[in-house]
Amino acid sequence: MRDYWLSKLFFDLQAPAAADQYRADRDRVLDRYPLKPEVRLAVVQEDVTALARLVNPYLLRFYFVAIGKSEAWFLERIRKTQPAAPNEIARG
Amino acid sequence: MASLVGVFASSHAPLMARAWEAVDAARRDAISKTFSELARRVVQAKPDVLVVVSPDHWVNFFLDNLPSICIGVGETHQGPPEPWLQHLPYKSIAGHPDFALHLARTALDEGFEPSLSHHLELDHGFAIPLWKMCIDPLPPLVPIIVNTIEPPMPSLRRCLAWGDLIRAAVERYPGNLRVAILATGGASHSIGEHDMGRIDEAFDRECFEQFRSADREGLLGFFERRLDAAGNGAAEMRNWLMAHGAAQGKGFELLGYYPYPEWYVGCGFAAWDLGER
Repeated sequence: MRDYWLSKLFFDLQAPAAADQYRADRDRVLDRYPLKPEVRLAVVQEDVTALARLVNPYLLRFYFVAIGKSEAWFLERIRKTQPAAPNEIARG
Repeated sequence: MASLVGVFASSHAPLMARAWEAVDAARRDAISKTFSELARRVVQAKPDVLVVVSPDHWVNFFLDNLPSICIGVGETHQGPPEPWLQHLPYKSIAGHPDFALHLARTALDEGFEPSLSHHLELDHGFAIPLWKMCIDPLPPLVPIIVNTIEPPMPSLRRCLAWGDLIRAAVERYPGNLRVAILATGGASHSIGEHDMGRIDEAFDRECFEQFRSADREGLLGFFERRLDAAGNGAAEMRNWLMAHGAAQGKGFELLGYYPYPEWYVGCGFAAWDLGER
């Protein structure tokens, strides 16, 4: 299941100016998106496992690139996640 | 009368642009030679218009509005928005609205309902193969975006039928026009998932063999059994199915296959011999 507002946040941060603003003042940007408390917490905690269940995988990767995480940092965490639903067409 | 003069396919791995030198010189040279061969064949076909079938990687469309298929009917298209592709010479790319609208009308007449866009941004899926082939000048482009990024996606069978449809549209076009098709994406890769970076080389090689030798039902059966396990990026093989349908399922030739782990993608390149009937 996709979380619309989390997806929208990640989608919007593809714009370099938006990503700059986010890196400078994350909370102010997050205030513009009606995220559920647990989803906002997962964002703040950079919880790849929790976020991976809520957004398209391409957007997930874009997001962590946008906030400046290294490829190694992301790979280490994404590889600890489990496939959402093997045997189902759940791939983006 | 218009004619279909070439059908081609190419991977579009972003790391070919972002991390070209992550791969050693000998292997870079090998893939460059394949891009050159692909370009030679495209140029030799002398297309007046190039139909490029590619995904949209969250550039034009979002969850608000996510078409299964969208045809770009604009007079011009915008080049890639990715910051790491701003050095490419594609700020604006000419379209071919007359053929694009003819394709759309043919689709509607035949029971297909594509979305239309008069202004598309063509992301790396379009730009990387064009750039690496160095085709200059580019013929006018008719982009077809296929949703291979977010489920539910168009069925494999429908993608093959879209290939038939493109061929029919070419044959019915009321004018002299040489049309070529370039499908981009695939083969196996996984992005943003637990197995990110995995290349399913066995899938890729069998996939190419199926394109070469299987009939339509055999090919569809193969993909239905195997595609989902080959990584989310393998969904882009739908674009190859469109190319294959346009070529009437015959004449597939693998020009090169480069499963470079540094670029995360099983990079495949192909052409269909339209004379082999």
